[in-house]
Amino acid sequence: MSGNQRPPMQTLSTRELVIDIPGRADGYPLDLAIKSGQVWGVLGPNGAGKTTLLHTLAGLRSPRAGALFLNDVPTAKLKRRALSQQLGLVFQDRQDGFPATVLETALIGRHPWLAPWQMEGADDLAMAERSLEALDVLHLKNRLVSTLSGGERQRVAIATLMTQSPHTWLLDEPTNHLDLHHQVAVMKLLTDRAAAGNAIFMCLHDLNLAARWCDHILLMYPNGETCWGPAERMLVPNALERLYNQQLATVEVDGAPFFVPKRD
Amino acid sequence: MIRPITLPLTVLAVAGLIAMVMSVGIGSVAIAPADVLLVFLGEGSNLHRTLILELRLPRTLSAFATGGLLAVAGALMQVLLRNPLADPYVLGLSGGAAVGALLAMLAGLGGAVISGSAFAGAMLATLMVFGLAHGTGSWTPSRLLLTGVVVAAGWGAVITLMLAISPARELPGMLYWLMGDVSYARAPWPGLGVLVLVCALVVPLGRSLNVLARGPMQAAALGISVRPLEWLIYILASLLTATAVTMAGSIGFVGLVVPHMLRLVLGNDQRLILPACALAGGTLLVLADTLARVVIAPEQLPVGVITALLGVPTFLYLLYRSR
Amino acid sequence: MGKLKGVSILLGWMLLASPAVASYVCATDDLGEEICLKHPAKRIAALSPGATELAWAAGAGDQVVAVVAYSDYPPAAKEVTSVGSHTRMDMERLLELQPDLVIGWITGNPTEQLVTLKDMGVPVFSIEPRSFEAVSNTIERISTLAGTEEEGFAEAERFRQGIADLQEAYAKADPVPVFYQVWDEPLMTVNSQHLIGDMIELCGGDNVFGQLDRLVPRISAEAVIAANPEAILAGGMGEENRHWLARWQAFPSITATERNNLFFIPPSLVQRPTPRMLEGTQLFCERLEVARGRRP
Repeated sequence: MSGNQRPPMQTLSTRELVIDIPGRADGYPLDLAIKSGQVWGVLGPNGAGKTTLLHTLAGLRSPRAGALFLNDVPTAKLKRRALSQQLGLVFQDRQDGFPATVLETALIGRHPWLAPWQMEGADDLAMAERSLEALDVLHLKNRLVSTLSGGERQRVAIATLMTQSPHTWLLDEPTNHLDLHHQVAVMKLLTDRAAAGNAIFMCLHDLNLAARWCDHILLMYPNGETCWGPAERMLVPNALERLYNQQLATVEVDGAPFFVPKRD
Repeated sequence: MIRPITLPLTVLAVAGLIAMVMSVGIGSVAIAPADVLLVFLGEGSNLHRTLILELRLPRTLSAFATGGLLAVAGALMQVLLRNPLADPYVLGLSGGAAVGALLAMLAGLGGAVISGSAFAGAMLATLMVFGLAHGTGSWTPSRLLLTGVVVAAGWGAVITLMLAISPARELPGMLYWLMGDVSYARAPWPGLGVLVLVCALVVPLGRSLNVLARGPMQAAALGISVRPLEWLIYILASLLTATAVTMAGSIGFVGLVVPHMLRLVLGNDQRLILPACALAGGTLLVLADTLARVVIAPEQLPVGVITALLGVPTFLYLLYRSR
Repeated sequence: MGKLKGVSILLGWMLLASPAVASYVCATDDLGEEICLKHPAKRIAALSPGATELAWAAGAGDQVVAVVAYSDYPPAAKEVTSVGSHTRMDMERLLELQPDLVIGWITGNPTEQLVTLKDMGVPVFSIEPRSFEAVSNTIERISTLAGTEEEGFAEAERFRQGIADLQEAYAKADPVPVFYQVWDEPLMTVNSQHLIGDMIELCGGDNVFGQLDRLVPRISAEAVIAANPEAILAGGMGEENRHWLARWQAFPSITATERNNLFFIPPSLVQRPTPRMLEGTQLFCERLEVARGRRP
């Protein structure tokens, strides 16, 4: 599937999913449905299991219980390659591999779409370059990734996901290391993708980013309790204060709520 | 395609061919190029035919095969362990092969038994490390590496013991084997066959290896079945190394330095690096063996000495240039 | 009677007439293989310094075309082309010399290289002399293959006789506990299976390390002190290793040190399985006599 076509409607859903965090008791089972066009924000304190959830949804970790479905087909029945054509993940921590240029890194996003003998073609190259441009790193395309700053590397990682062009984008704290300008640019990009038919599901530790940009929120409490729903319903001070164990003051900016931790 | 593939491979293939021609034409007995040509045309004196067809040609082909096997094995190990310092012996494979070979020598057996014993030792070492690293169910590259390093040290201790207690007359043979010696490899076809076969298997997997080199999580997220691929690489690298060690003892440096050198010049695409390693490793070892045969003739040097002397400065130079 | 004579004349003609039988020379080597050459060897390769000496002893010196490193006796051998070390020969150079007989050393040459030569059709006569008698009959067998029986057999007999004479002379000698030092670091000696062990025994010596299992055992200085030999004889790789003996002077408790029975024997007379062992044995026996003379 090339990135230019409008992706078909698709739902990634869970049925009674219980994620596996070693040493922690079972959490509440999750019955989520992530649909095309939605922008999800996952909020919770450190250690709540946000990253684990993301990795479980991506099929990288086995859940303790329950199952995942892609349009009602259990993901367990899908081959890895097929799954990675539909789901993509941007990790929170980068693993250092062998030296590679920015362009080469973006290009590996095409891997799930190419047959073993097939070499990357002009189309693939064009897709990669378009993605790099959308993330404002095209001018760095021949630089080694190891020589980039944290923010630039983050944008390259997102560009790789964009080159992979799966339907559902899973992102673990995508705005880490990004300066304000690029934070806004990335969030805008993600919102645009959702409007174009992708589904965006991301972990955020910045409550206010979620408030500005997400239309659905999942709250993950440290005790395993979860609740989710449309943003207006979830972003209530009681729930958030309980989530973060922190008193909050609310103001309204640009028609959206803005939460400020109280000083005492 | 970002970087050209055919040009570097063609250059390396030509270099390999030149090296092989030189190796067949050079030896401690001077044979004029015209006479060499005569031999290949089916004529030439009996002496020349014997020297070229029965001594030099098999030895050259074996050296090429061994060098290629070691270089590809080194490249695969470096991807598997995601560590540019890995070489084919880091997991104790050559140690196991050495113990097998030395045991056969101690028992006074010769030729094919030594080779078979070396091969068996290598595969045993492979299984041992894999089994030990498997431990509680999942192994990571660092666990594999650590297990391998410890087991290799163990084999090293056994080898030292064997050298200490073996009768003095066995020692030269053992030391030559440990230093690597192509002179006994009379039949190059198994080695060449394994090299070609494994390359044919592994080059289509090249892009998967590129992705795997980014890290297992990233690779899994891009649709790679990480465990099965890692298993496959490990088995193939072991097969390559076991074959090489069986043919010519434990020749060092080729498996570490050749992939590195090529990566400095050609980048990190395994689809190019793996066949390039086969060609460059073969070329390097053929050159080294030619030198080992003639530089202080009639004394014969072990080829491992030459690979070190050739490989290390070249590598340092390239490293310096790439700053 | 007439018929018998007729038949024998016929048989005689047949024997003379069949060329195969007339000029084939054969001998069995120490691996049990029978080596037969169509005619006596004219181009011999000797792959150990010992084999070189034996070839000359067999009278075939003029026919030797290839030797290995350290083949320094007789002096004429130094003029012959060397094909490398006995542990790793230069096969190309060896084949270039087109030997029609190779004398290999079973435990000294790499088996693979000898096998390679055999595979190429070069006759390989493998030797491993382990006794005085073996030295003699090796000389005889080589001379048969080289067509120099007259000289070879005579030399072999001279050696045999010489050893027998020595044997008789020292048959009733008083045993002298002896330590023979092969090497300095590590400290090595020989057991009674070794040819040098035979020499010690012949001269009425008692090898203090004779019963050890290994042919060339590695021992410690303490073991030597504990064994307390009455005489210490040292060999070595070169001809001037007398300093090995100086080390034992630090241990006056050893009888050999106390009585200054520290003797040096030129190793090439003792450590190569050749006719020069006669000289070496003679020196050996004389030394032990000196030791006996120094008994209080």
